[in-house]
Order: sequence, then structure tokens, then C-alpha cells
Amino acid sequence: MNRKNPYVYYGKKILIFLLSVLLLSVVIFYVARLAPGDPLVSYYGDRVEKMSMAEREWAEENLGLNDPIHVQYLRWLQNALKGNFGISFKYKTDVLEVIGGRLVNTLILGGIGFVLIFVLALGLGILCAWHEEKWLDKLICKVGTIISCIPEFWLSLILILIFAIYLRWLPSSSAYSIGKAKDISDRILHLILPMTIVVGSHLWYYAYMIRNKLLEEVRAEYVLLAKSKGLDKKSILFRHCLRNIIPSYLSIMAISVPHILGGTYIIETVFSYPGIGTLSYESARYQDYNLLMLLCILSGAVVILCNIIAQTINEHIDPRMRENESIETTEVTEIG
Amino acid sequence: MAELLEIKNLSVSFDTPQGELQAVRDVSFSLHAGEVLALVGESGCGKSVLCKSIMKLLHGNARITGGSILVDGVDITNYRQRDMERLRGRLFSMVFQDPMATLNPTISIGEQIAEAVRVHHPKMEREAVYQRVMELMKLVGITEPEQRYRQYPYHFSGGMRQRSVMAIALASNPKILLADEPTTSLDVTIQAQILDLLRDIQQKLGTATIFVSHDLGVVARIADRVAVMYAGKIVEIGTAEEIFYDPRHPYTWALMRSLPAFAREGEELYTIPGMPPTMIDLPPGDAFASRNEYALAIDYEEMPPMFQISDTHYAATWLLDERAPKITPPMGGDFHG
Repeated sequence: MNRKNPYVYYGKKILIFLLSVLLLSVVIFYVARLAPGDPLVSYYGDRVEKMSMAEREWAEENLGLNDPIHVQYLRWLQNALKGNFGISFKYKTDVLEVIGGRLVNTLILGGIGFVLIFVLALGLGILCAWHEEKWLDKLICKVGTIISCIPEFWLSLILILIFAIYLRWLPSSSAYSIGKAKDISDRILHLILPMTIVVGSHLWYYAYMIRNKLLEEVRAEYVLLAKSKGLDKKSILFRHCLRNIIPSYLSIMAISVPHILGGTYIIETVFSYPGIGTLSYESARYQDYNLLMLLCILSGAVVILCNIIAQTINEHIDPRMRENESIETTEVTEIG
Repeated sequence: MAELLEIKNLSVSFDTPQGELQAVRDVSFSLHAGEVLALVGESGCGKSVLCKSIMKLLHGNARITGGSILVDGVDITNYRQRDMERLRGRLFSMVFQDPMATLNPTISIGEQIAEAVRVHHPKMEREAVYQRVMELMKLVGITEPEQRYRQYPYHFSGGMRQRSVMAIALASNPKILLADEPTTSLDVTIQAQILDLLRDIQQKLGTATIFVSHDLGVVARIADRVAVMYAGKIVEIGTAEEIFYDPRHPYTWALMRSLPAFAREGEELYTIPGMPPTMIDLPPGDAFASRNEYALAIDYEEMPPMFQISDTHYAATWLLDERAPKITPPMGGDFHG
């Protein structure tokens, strides 16, 4: 039984994670290189157009772009395993250095946003289910539907227009004012608008899902038994129904990480927020292979990790998933 | 003295897009302390709805359109859910048809029973709750209760689950147990065990029981009194003896004729012709008239009242009117010779 040996249990999961990331890196490497575009542009800029064939050849040789793709991949892998992910063609420095500072910015925006979405959606969903078909429920559902139909970038622009241009309460872009990188209150001020968009555009979908799942549970047969033994609405909703939807909520939230991450990337671009999103966009546009590679693997690893975490949580909450390999030892037979 | 449970002219309707569905129509009966009353009828005749409406377990689109429910002489018809919560479990509780669906799959059996123990005794000590759960599990015949306490519903077979549901239902010593087809979804050998268990417990604890079934054979094993329901109405009610040996309503006759035990060798098993009516826009008169080979002209026009046959025996059929033609029933009389 896998629970008895945590080393095997978690070892297996880590192995799956590593294999998935490796596979992902192969796919990204090939797709990136097969995509049209000239990587030399990102390294040399406009000078590329004036290069002679010989110069081009030399430049490609120099950047290691002439070899067959699998040779390039193996070289990249060898270096990557040593912690060397190459240099960015555009920034001409180690990609880790390029990503470093921006990763924190994205983690702040996406991470806090995700937690807020997670908690608020749960709260709103429960609130709606509790007041099923009453005015509060209807209001939240209608407002949510309308807001989630508005495209993020348009909503961002409207909010910038209102709060940054007309009212001048909040800054319109970037993560901090120049020279105030360490000023926390300044950073929070810069976060408010993008965070509102990240949370506001995703929240409703998940809240609505929680609401519907809860209402489905409330109509389940076991609720009748819980009611008939005298439990009140609160205990039934929180102790019985919520418990049955949390596993699927967790796995959906884990799978939603790329969705929310994707949204963050768009919002970063609109607010010129210096995060991974803007960087990914640039690196894909300019064929900055090493940077693109690392960014994709990072995003991919986060997604895979979240899925594995979701599964692990699921197995711990839902007893059926935990023990499905050991049922024969506990199977109960009718004794008359 | 007031009856333990008294239902007076109760009507329950569902609001559906097609119109008002009258699931229970003008039902009256009473339940004495300690007795087993069986509710018998075809699927969809309103038996379950009747039980659930007594405990107010029906969903939003159902409403009581008339009549009253009295418990020990107290009218609970207009009780709100909050008031009902205090009665459920203690005054009455319910065992449902499908034990596969009525237990919460993510909470251990012991915990679900313990919850039922704690509902009305929130200050009870942990150890006392545990002891009570053990006692209940033994009462319903769950062997090795200590091990079973931590197991989950999916570890349990159907019969064992139904035993657990019974333990939950009995946790707060209810005065009334509503058993809604508790054996229907179990296989036949287990059915008999659960039925015997129900009867045993009923005699041990003296819990008054409303036993819902569509199976007259099952009812014969357990009931003190029997009420036969058709299209949301009680068409005949009496002691088990009266119903089985002296049935008066053509529907009761038909139900009995369709029992395999009464079939003669070489003859095809009797089935009631036609289908039960839909409960939206019922025709005037007796709802059973169109399927009734003894139907009189008046049956199609006017609803028959309850005719009294003895102190305990009533039936709603125009055949009992003194002007009705005398017919020899195909059932009853000759069976007990």
C-alpha cells in the first residue's frame, strides 16, 4: 500500500515530474527551432540585414545554430543540467539573471492573485449556494457573468482611464516608481489595478463553479439522511457538502494555474508590469531561444507541479482514491 | 389521548412546468405508538412523497396545499426548517431506499453515526459518544464495530450500509421511524435479513414505524396495519388481517392477484391492466376507474368517499355503497377458508 511507504509514494511522483519536464523541454526545443523567424535578429538587431553570407554563417556557427537540432538539444541539456541555461540573445547576459528580478514581480502579482481568487471564489460560491435563488445569489451571478465576459485588456484600459487618468489616484503602469524599488507602499499602490483585473476577471468563473457543485451536492441523497438525523443547514453545507466538492475544487484550481498565469501575462503587458509575461512575449517574438526555453520550462514545470500537487491533495482527502489499490484487503462481506 | 402521529386531509403538490402535480391528495391516517403501519402502492403513487412531507424533506418546488400534520396533538404543519431540525432524529427519522447513495462517501461510517448521536446531545463526552456508537452498531448487527468505525461507506456491502443507515436513524431514539422502501434496492437474501432486523428492533425499542413498500409479500411479514395508496390517495386502510383476508377495494384485489404466491400453476401471472395515471390534471371520479374491471358508471364522475367497514377498516370504493351491485371479490374470503 502506497501510504505505508512515503519514499516510494513521493519518489514516484517526483520521477513523474522530472520525466514530464524533460519531455516538455524536448517538445519546446523542437517547436521553437522549427518556427519561422531569424534568431540572429534578436542578437544583432538591424545589422543582420547588412551581413554577408559568410558573416551570417560565422554568427550562426558562433551561436551554435548550425548543428542538427538534436545535437543542439543535447548540448543545451548538458549545460542545463550543470545549471547553465545559456545567454539571452537580446540581453547578452545569463538568462537566469534576466529572469531573476522579473520572476519575483510575477510571483507577487500571480501568486497573491491566485490565493485571492481561490479564497474569494470559495466564499462567494458558498454565499450564493446558501442564498440559492434569492436576490443576493441572482445579483452575484449576473454581475459575475457580465464582468467575466469583458476582455481583460479592455477592462484594464477602462480602469487605467478612470483611476489613473481622470481621478489620478493610482499609477497606470510599472511595478514601482523610479527609484522606489524597495518602497513597499509604493509597490502596493502599483499592484492595485493589475491585481483587481487578475482577480476580477477570473473570480466569477470559479465562484459560479463552487455554487453549482454545492447545489448539486445539496440535492444528493446523503443530504436527506443528514437532514433526517437532525443536522442543520450549516453543518450539512460545511461538513458534508463542502467536503465532497473540495477535492474536485482543488484539482480544478491546480489546473487553473496556467489559465490564471496566462491572464497575468496579458495584464502584465497592458500595465507594462516588468514580469515574466512581458518577457515571454518578447522572447517568443525575437526568437530568443535560451530565454524562451527557460521561461516555457518554468511555466510548464509550475503547471505539472500543480497537477501533481492537486492529485496528492485529492488522494489525501478522498478515501476512495487513496486506497483503491488495497480494496481487496478490506472488502467486507455480509454476515447474516 | 392524542395519537402519536395524525395526518388530516393532507395534500402535497409539486409545481412543475407542465402544471401542478398533485402527489398526495387528501390523505388522512393516524399512527399509534409502537405499531407498524405499511404504506403500499405502485411506484409513483405518492408513498415516498407522503413520508418526506411529514418530515419536511421535500425540495423547494413542493408544497403542502392543505390539511395538517399533528404530533402528540401538536400541529407541526407550519413549522419552519429550523423548528423541524429540532424534531428530526428525536421525534422521527428516516431510512431511505438506496443505501448506496444515502451515506456520505467521504466520511467514515462511525463518524456519520457519531454525528447523529451528537446532534441532539452536543455536550456529550467523546468517550460516551463512542460507546453509544458501538451500542448502535451492535444493535443493528454490524459485527466488529471497532474496526468498522473507521471504515468508509465504499468498504461496506449494500446490506451493511443499510444497517448503518438504520443505526444513524435510531441514534436519538426517535418515536417514529419512516422506512422508505428500505429493502427494495437490496438482493433478496439480504432483504429478508434487513426486514427481520427492522422487526426485531421495532419490537425491542417499540418505535412506531411507517413502512413504505410496493411489495405486499414484504408487508405481510412486518405490518400491524396496512394502508393501500393509489394516485396519491389512500384507497383502503385496515389491520393487516383485514387487508389480507377481507380486502374490499378493487385495487387491493388487483395488487393481491398480481402476487406470484397467489398464481395458480399453468396460469399466466396476473398484471393490472393499463398504467397509473399522471398526477397532473387527474380525471374526475376514481383515478383507478379506467383500470378497474368492476368500475361503475359513478366511478368516472364522482370520487368515492371512505366507507367504514369496521372500527379499523375503511375503503374508498363505490362498490361499498348500499345501492351498488353485489359482486364476488376475486380475492379475500375464500383464502382463509
